Amino acid sequence: MSRLLARRLAAAILVAWGVATLAFVLVQAVPGRAFDELALQGLPPQAAERLRVLFGADRPFAVRYIDWLLGLLRGDLGFSLQLRRPVGALVAEALGNTIALTGLALAVQVVLGVLVGTLAAVTRSRWLDLAAGGVAALVYSFPSFWMGLLLVAVFSLALPWLPVSQMRSIDGGGMGDLLRHLILPCAALALPLAAGTSLYVRDEMRVALARPFVAAARARGAGEGRVAVAHALRSVLLPVAQLVGLSIQGVVAGSVVIEVLFAWPGMGRLAYDALLARDEPLVLACVLVGAVAVVVGGLLADVASALCDPRFAVEQR
Amino acid sequence: MKPLAAIVLGLALVGPFLVPRHAADDDDPAGARYLAPLTQAHVVPLRAGGNRVVTSLARTSGGWTGQRAGSEVSFRDEEVAGAPVPRVYLLGTDGLGRDLLDRMLRGARHSVLIAGAGVAVALFIGILVGAAAGLSRPAVEALLMRSTDVLLATPRFLVYLLCAALFGPSTLLVIVVVGLTTWPSLARLVRASTRSLRSQEGILAARAAGCSPPRLVMRHLLPAMTPVVAVTAALRFSDTIRLEAALSFLGVGSPPPAVSLGAIVASGRGVLADAWWVAAWPGLTIAVLVLAVRSAVSRPERLAEPPSVA
Repeated sequence: MSRLLARRLAAAILVAWGVATLAFVLVQAVPGRAFDELALQGLPPQAAERLRVLFGADRPFAVRYIDWLLGLLRGDLGFSLQLRRPVGALVAEALGNTIALTGLALAVQVVLGVLVGTLAAVTRSRWLDLAAGGVAALVYSFPSFWMGLLLVAVFSLALPWLPVSQMRSIDGGGMGDLLRHLILPCAALALPLAAGTSLYVRDEMRVALARPFVAAARARGAGEGRVAVAHALRSVLLPVAQLVGLSIQGVVAGSVVIEVLFAWPGMGRLAYDALLARDEPLVLACVLVGAVAVVVGGLLADVASALCDPRFAVEQR
Repeated sequence: MKPLAAIVLGLALVGPFLVPRHAADDDDPAGARYLAPLTQAHVVPLRAGGNRVVTSLARTSGGWTGQRAGSEVSFRDEEVAGAPVPRVYLLGTDGLGRDLLDRMLRGARHSVLIAGAGVAVALFIGILVGAAAGLSRPAVEALLMRSTDVLLATPRFLVYLLCAALFGPSTLLVIVVVGLTTWPSLARLVRASTRSLRSQEGILAARAAGCSPPRLVMRHLLPAMTPVVAVTAALRFSDTIRLEAALSFLGVGSPPPAVSLGAIVASGRGVLADAWWVAAWPGLTIAVLVLAVRSAVSRPERLAEPPSVA
């Protein structure tokens, strides 16, 4: 377990470094950057030169790259050109909001997906199964932004129950207000994912329920509920953990769209605004945070898999 | 369910040709603005030039009367250049008076073409890298697969936004970025298949007979792994349809005059309460396209894939 963790961690750091480098090269290699001749046109030459020196635009590519990497190691993400604040502080603010949104969405994905999938697999009613499967397949194919609009149309416009967007009401409000604002974006993000997970769990559960160890458990006199939860579901949780880890990539994309749609002040919107403003340090930090999220998702999936099934740690040599 | 996918994709490709565009579609944007689905309207040609799109048209003595843009209008016979032409807006119109059925069909074709091109690029690179990794020495293989891992962990949505900010959004950029960020998952699959096939007798015999690596891949390995690769390619195709829609929803996809489903949804976002149909139809179209492609992938094959959201 610890060996697996160490190896995976090393690989994860390597991958994160690779993505960071890729993003840095992409930003730096493209013509028309901040502080080039065109951008500083009309400034007195001395002032332009001072700006270039101040922001390090006069130094060669390799020096800037190494400087940036060393800064990363120190936890210094640079200074936002657009918002004129340290990138680290901006990311820290936004990251909390995004984790609240995506963390809850992932939790809903797992709980709802496993629950519906298991019920659909163990139910004897063909019609119930067909209905649940049909709805899940449909919801799974909705784009998350459209899901969001649908929810807004129903729960904010037709029925005035929930706020359309933002994270807090103008007059402040406490925890309850925050939760009310959280429901719609979270549902828009989580429902398609939960639908996909439920289809997956249902199919895997069906396979598991037909396997010999389940028949053996039944033969020993275990009740149907215990067979489903303690025996069949347990064997399904391993691939589900992997699945959730892999869906982080989609959650990162989804959070950009959903945060822009619902004006949620998180990483996705920060990234979107930074990109529109071509705020290079902020953009780099956002891509890096996204990559770290994907890598950490895979890492957590491996840890969860090893906890579910000790053989996993041995097999992954 | 494969025929369903073929029918839906085929319809998406030829749809714009099946439903003729209204000839005078752009002539009266103000009159045809936000008409509800199934609205029965008439196009009244005017002698002074141009057309007027009028609903509940009725004959009066010496002229016509009806509703246009929320107020009553009437035309005298000498103003009208010909008989009013009836027209039904099946799915309604958008804020610029354009027929949504036509917009939707063209958007669907756009989605399918972009996803097809992007996945084609990804397939090309993925097969190249995957087969090279599967057939080459361990050191080369490790290098190729580690770079594949880096790209797999790259948040592709952010990379696209980054490229859109740097190069400006365009249809070509969507295809290129989709291709460049989708190939790693295909390369992994091709490598795994190559390694498991490599020691089979048929492949060994071909190698013993002096088959060159490119020929080995094209004639012996690829045919054997086509079913597996096709499944993953189909799922990537459905992901790409949603990715493209999400990008154009954010306004960084294909710029006009290209018609993208996501952009139509975005244009209906502000009028959700008054003209729900603008956002509804393109969203449903995306769902139908994705559902049709996924339905072609049978259940056991689907199990190996994570759910995704764009």
